[in-house]
Amino acid sequence: MGTTNRGLLDKATAKMTESQAWRSIFRHGYPDTPLNQSLVMMGNVFLHLHPVKVSRKAMKITYTWCLGGLSFFLFLVLTITGVFLMFYFVPEQRVAYANIQQITSAVAFGNLVRNMHRWAAHLMVVTVTLHMIRVFYHGAYKPPREFNWVVGVVLFFTTLLLSFTGYLLPWDQIGYWAITVGSQMASYTPLLGTQAHSILTGSPVGVGQSTLIRFYTLHVIGLPLVGAIFMAVHFWRIRKDGGEAGPPPPSRRELEQARARQETSVASLN
Amino acid sequence: MATTEPRTAATQKRYRTLAVVKQEAITRVEKQLEDSVFVWPHLLVREFMAALLMTVVLTVVSLVVDAPLRGHSNPNLTPNPAKAPWYFLGLQEQLHYFAPTIAGVLLPGFTLVGLAILPYVDRNPSRAFEDRKISITVFTAIALYFAVTVLAGSFFRGSGWQWIWPWQHIYFDL
Repeated sequence: MGTTNRGLLDKATAKMTESQAWRSIFRHGYPDTPLNQSLVMMGNVFLHLHPVKVSRKAMKITYTWCLGGLSFFLFLVLTITGVFLMFYFVPEQRVAYANIQQITSAVAFGNLVRNMHRWAAHLMVVTVTLHMIRVFYHGAYKPPREFNWVVGVVLFFTTLLLSFTGYLLPWDQIGYWAITVGSQMASYTPLLGTQAHSILTGSPVGVGQSTLIRFYTLHVIGLPLVGAIFMAVHFWRIRKDGGEAGPPPPSRRELEQARARQETSVASLN
Repeated sequence: MATTEPRTAATQKRYRTLAVVKQEAITRVEKQLEDSVFVWPHLLVREFMAALLMTVVLTVVSLVVDAPLRGHSNPNLTPNPAKAPWYFLGLQEQLHYFAPTIAGVLLPGFTLVGLAILPYVDRNPSRAFEDRKISITVFTAIALYFAVTVLAGSFFRGSGWQWIWPWQHIYFDL
């Protein structure tokens, strides 16, 4: 009985994957042969930033800890949960706080989504920082990857600004005073202190409605766009600079020892 | 007359780009084969599992711990201490030691610029730990300095930015 069912299922699968509709979406068969495993990576827009093959050493979890990938994944989670929150949030100082209260108490799944957005944001600052530290210790910023490191520094700064601008939006005492303290630091800029502060807050007196709308706009469109553009460059350059760096090669001393060993073995042969 | 024209577009030699193979490209023909595996499924399955695990952890944490929300903002009621977001608390802690221009602007500014130009300053080509003692020491010292100041500003500072032990009281919001 089992074998007949299996045969039927195989036949149905084959019929489906060979149909014109299926083939119009996926131009190749299921990726279980080397050819199809290559075609799927080259023919799929979501996968094509990956190479077809990857070095076994560079792929190890204990080498990358998935930190860059997780940072990007958190960015996606934040985009999805953020769009949901935008349905209910109006960046107006008389209603913003009430909107947050409404999200947490009256909107279906509102509290969960807001929690996810908050914790993912803090987590992203952590994963981006750890990713940067990991890349430093592996020396993966060295040529030919030096420019991608610079792009990474821009992304790190963008992440901090995204978190900082989002911090104000609930318009509660935490956000209001954290941004007041944070933006005061800008006013200590030599020569241009007052200007820097009023560009950031949109007002010469302090955090207010002009700050709220400025931070909101930067948070939901300006900075995510900057981040997305630099991320595209960052991922593209990983490939163009030769893929993941992989674990550091042997040190100069180890190389010399290996050479010396080789020379002695050659000498003993003569 | 048309016949006197030396070269028309049709007679000109034209080229099609089939491929450009750079010296160090992964497509280089003589490049030694390295121990590699197909991304589908080996890498993709790892990425998927990492994303899945992250989703589960994030969902569970979000179900259990609520994001903080204090009272409505009040410009006339300054909390004591008023703290910046946690990742800027290192800078706020430094305001305690240095002049505001140094602690709040120049130090973070130079750190960021220093990070950006790091690959052009550190010209040592070796990636091995053993060959990079100076750069690793300097980076570790700076990273530790920021980590310690962030922790101090987060958990060891109370009203008036006075030193306070975490078991006495914690003034910290996420």
